[in-house]
Amino acid sequence: MTDHSDDVATGQQEGSENRSPGDVAHGVLTPVGSLIRRIRAPEDWTEEERQEALGELFFEGSEWIPYLKRFFTLIALSTSIAAFGLIADSTAVVIGAMLIAPLMTPMLAISAAVVYGRLDRIVVSGIVVLLGTVAAVLVGALVATVTAGTLTSTDLSGQILSRTSPSLLDLGIAVTAGMAAGYVLAHRKVGASLPGVAIAVALVPPLATIGVTLRLGATSEAQGAMLLYLTNLVAIVLSAGVVMVVSGFVPRHIRAIAKGHLTAGFVVSIVALVVISVPLAFHTVEQVRNEQLERLVVGSVPQWDESASVRSINVSTDAGRAEIQLGVATTGDPKPAWELAELIASGSSFDVDLTIRYQSELVDAASTR
Amino acid sequence: MIRALGLVAAVVAVALVVAACSATEAEDGPVVTVFGPYRGTDAARFAASIAPFEARTGIDVRYVGTGSLAADLVDRIAEGNTPDVAMVPQPSLVGDLVAMGQVIPLGPEGVAAVRANYAPSAIDLMTFGEKLHGVLYRANVKSLVWYPPAVFEERGYEVPESWDDLITLTERMEQDGLQPWCFTLASFAATGWVGTDWVEDVMLRLNGPDDYQAWVDGDISFDDPKVRRSFELFGDIVRTPGRVNGGIRRALGVLWNDAATPMFADPPGCLLHRQASFYRSSLPAGVVLGEDVDVFVLPPFQTGEAPPLLVGGDLAVGFDDRTDVQAFLAYLATPQSGEAWARAGGYTSPHTTFDPDLYTDMFDRRIGEMLVSTAAVAFDASDQMPSAVGTGTFWKGIVYYVQTGDLDGTVLMIEEGFE
Repeated sequence: MTDHSDDVATGQQEGSENRSPGDVAHGVLTPVGSLIRRIRAPEDWTEEERQEALGELFFEGSEWIPYLKRFFTLIALSTSIAAFGLIADSTAVVIGAMLIAPLMTPMLAISAAVVYGRLDRIVVSGIVVLLGTVAAVLVGALVATVTAGTLTSTDLSGQILSRTSPSLLDLGIAVTAGMAAGYVLAHRKVGASLPGVAIAVALVPPLATIGVTLRLGATSEAQGAMLLYLTNLVAIVLSAGVVMVVSGFVPRHIRAIAKGHLTAGFVVSIVALVVISVPLAFHTVEQVRNEQLERLVVGSVPQWDESASVRSINVSTDAGRAEIQLGVATTGDPKPAWELAELIASGSSFDVDLTIRYQSELVDAASTR
Repeated sequence: MIRALGLVAAVVAVALVVAACSATEAEDGPVVTVFGPYRGTDAARFAASIAPFEARTGIDVRYVGTGSLAADLVDRIAEGNTPDVAMVPQPSLVGDLVAMGQVIPLGPEGVAAVRANYAPSAIDLMTFGEKLHGVLYRANVKSLVWYPPAVFEERGYEVPESWDDLITLTERMEQDGLQPWCFTLASFAATGWVGTDWVEDVMLRLNGPDDYQAWVDGDISFDDPKVRRSFELFGDIVRTPGRVNGGIRRALGVLWNDAATPMFADPPGCLLHRQASFYRSSLPAGVVLGEDVDVFVLPPFQTGEAPPLLVGGDLAVGFDDRTDVQAFLAYLATPQSGEAWARAGGYTSPHTTFDPDLYTDMFDRRIGEMLVSTAAVAFDASDQMPSAVGTGTFWKGIVYYVQTGDLDGTVLMIEEGFE
């Protein structure tokens, strides 16, 4: 932990495309630095190496102040970038924000503390995650304030909306990415792939989404983004911990001592995961249902009016009832809505409330000089 | 720890299986298709009202609601895609369809149910060519004036008991520097009906139900002094400068369902709004019926006289003479057919035998009791006149009259519809 620039230089020699000299702090905040140093080291874990890896996750005494400074600086920067990217609806910018996000370190620290049975470190790392979370939400809200008027609660960007309705797919992503993170920490040769983990389970963009949507008063969207963030958090902590244990990161004698804490830590994580799975399962069921219904609607339109084409569609379902808003362009006389509603109802198990906005296909043009 | 992974996998798997399952139902047995104007919440409440019939008979009633009932129904019949039953708000359209031989007369079961559950005036409305052809299912009262009771109390205004009281109240409000009336009549392709309802209400009060019916039947022309006077009394209110919020410009430009919105501003932009009971669903959000706004019946010309009521409603008519269709129409003629809707709110029963205790909503109950207890009830005239007039020149003529005050021209314009 003393010579960060050396870490980075080694990383570049390794040919990692995602890294640049500007990533100095990155090498410090994720276990990448000494992971890469491991390339020149023997395969077997020595106690020293283990301590070194843990040293990147845990901090003692005077190490805390510079770590926290870097941590909150990067939280502020990455969340700002993410929030601007979300508002501008730019995927590339949001991915950039993920790469400098520092939250993975304290989360992996919780995992390691769980498998080492260190309750004190679980608490300390938990506090760091909590403070980082709060700070990120505040920064997201601040950016939304600065950019006031760009978006409204009813007109959010695609990047924001894609983070407000998590499903079990997101849980699958988070679980496997958490495994990857644990694996990378335990098998220190594959360090260059950590940015991939950071992208797969983006932590900062959901937080920025919470801040932005709260500021705009879109409460249910904020709840959705919060669920996504919690999903990622719990899944990473659990699955990284599992992989750490399986891959022999924890020495046998410590595992024996820590067995009680270990079990308790995992039980808590698993319960949290199951609790989170419930709303995710509901979201997933709803999404699948809405997508099926959307396909049915789009498929029914040509049958209803062969000259009609769907210009916009918005489907929501609730307790056996489907509310469908359809924008339709047609070259002929508009066909009545009830016929389409009946077609959709006969092909599904829903009661249908359908509103159609007919758009004219007429074309007009003009110029002035 | 493998167990932990297994658990995660199990949770994921279960959820995906749940997600993949979506059942579709298949049913056999008799089906009655119903076409009507109820959509959204109203459609759900109508369906709930019909559920007891389906449970009892095993007949599956499939309802489709549309926002353009009259036009869609005529198209369906023309295309040979006629529903088994339609709920039609315009008796004139029912009359046209009866004349075309499309509508089936009620069978013995339906006739018996109608005789048992309706007042004679309602039975007249359901009778076309000597035979019962329709069942009046849901009613609304049009002769209501909406007003803010708190403002009335604060300023010492009293609910008027005669037409003269109403005009005196109007003048007093003007002297107090207020614009008394809310009035707008824009309604897309149906612009004008707010004005025709007004004139019908005045005509009914001024001349009584018999002359009103003669006017509906075409035996009294629009040029008759009785009808002309009704226009003038209406004109006194809406055309006198300062009496209507926003004046004629707003009256023509603002949609009818926003007409009374200024009533709830501070200070109120208007204090009196003549509109049907269904205006309830157009009240601005947050306005509490019974507290912020209440209704009185448009007063009669003589103090102490019971004011007649102008009403509207939906007639259920059948197009296919099958036993299941007849059974359904007969069910709609029983008070049971409105119970679920009345419990949910937003339904007024035209059945004299309807138990008022079933209304959970005080407003529905009041309207229901008004309907049952009022002797002189008349159905919306324009909805009964030939459609070239009722939904044609009468609507256009009233807009012209509000704009210009030219009564001779208005009468000429409306009478053209009869030619």
